[in-house]
Amino acid sequence: MKPELRREIRDLGLVGAGAIPGALLRWKLETIAHSMVEGSLRSVVGADFLANMVGCLLIGLVIAQGPGRARLALAVGIGFCGSLTTFSSWMLELAKALRAGDGLGAVGVLLASLAGGVLLVFVGYALGQGLQRRRPG
Amino acid sequence: MSWLAGDTDALMVAIGAVPGAWLRFRVVDHFEPVLPRKHWGTFGVNVIACFALGLIVGLEESCGAAAQRVLLLVGTGFLGSFSTFSTFSGELRAELVQRHWRSAALLASGSVAGGLLAMLAGLSLGARP
Repeated sequence: MKPELRREIRDLGLVGAGAIPGALLRWKLETIAHSMVEGSLRSVVGADFLANMVGCLLIGLVIAQGPGRARLALAVGIGFCGSLTTFSSWMLELAKALRAGDGLGAVGVLLASLAGGVLLVFVGYALGQGLQRRRPG
Repeated sequence: MSWLAGDTDALMVAIGAVPGAWLRFRVVDHFEPVLPRKHWGTFGVNVIACFALGLIVGLEESCGAAAQRVLLLVGTGFLGSFSTFSTFSGELRAELVQRHWRSAALLASGSVAGGLLAMLAGLSLGARP
């Protein structure tokens, strides 16, 4: 087998192997979030919000490891985090709030995810750098 | 694996997720925010996914066209996996770290505006006339 083809198959395998548990966790969070969060917060802190926040923290950790950890980036970063997090469901929540005339809810959905996501990437990156410093060599 | 109760549903999500992630992997320049075409990959992927999700949700609302399992396969599995929030936030962080305030503001507002417009277009196209 040509080496390029073998690398291609390996890359796709790593991405796919991360994508399946990521998507399944996001799907399962729907049930978990519903039992965890009560009342009016439900519209902002839904399953997709939780999935997005966890994914942002984790991708910060991965980015901090640098370009040398290619397999980690493929399986955990692109596969797992990319599939766990979702942009389209976030926009669906926003559109639903707007269509219901819930302006305050729409602003809440928008800002909570936007600010929370970037903040958690920063936190994950700082944690990831701390991990790297501990690793010998 | 008892947490995967409803195995066919889980299978639908998993089968949709893999090609979604592969396609995104090929389109997005991951971890290379210095390339000239930097954020267009993520932006494009997310806007397309928003339009498509809006379309199937709109169709579902207007005529109940899609079965529950189709929504799991295409909506939760494929499109949820295809679109990404973590790379978007990672790119936003990269712009902020480099103090490219205008690029960061443009990336955030452009992605939200583009995604929301695509979502609304999909929803209204799927709605019964």
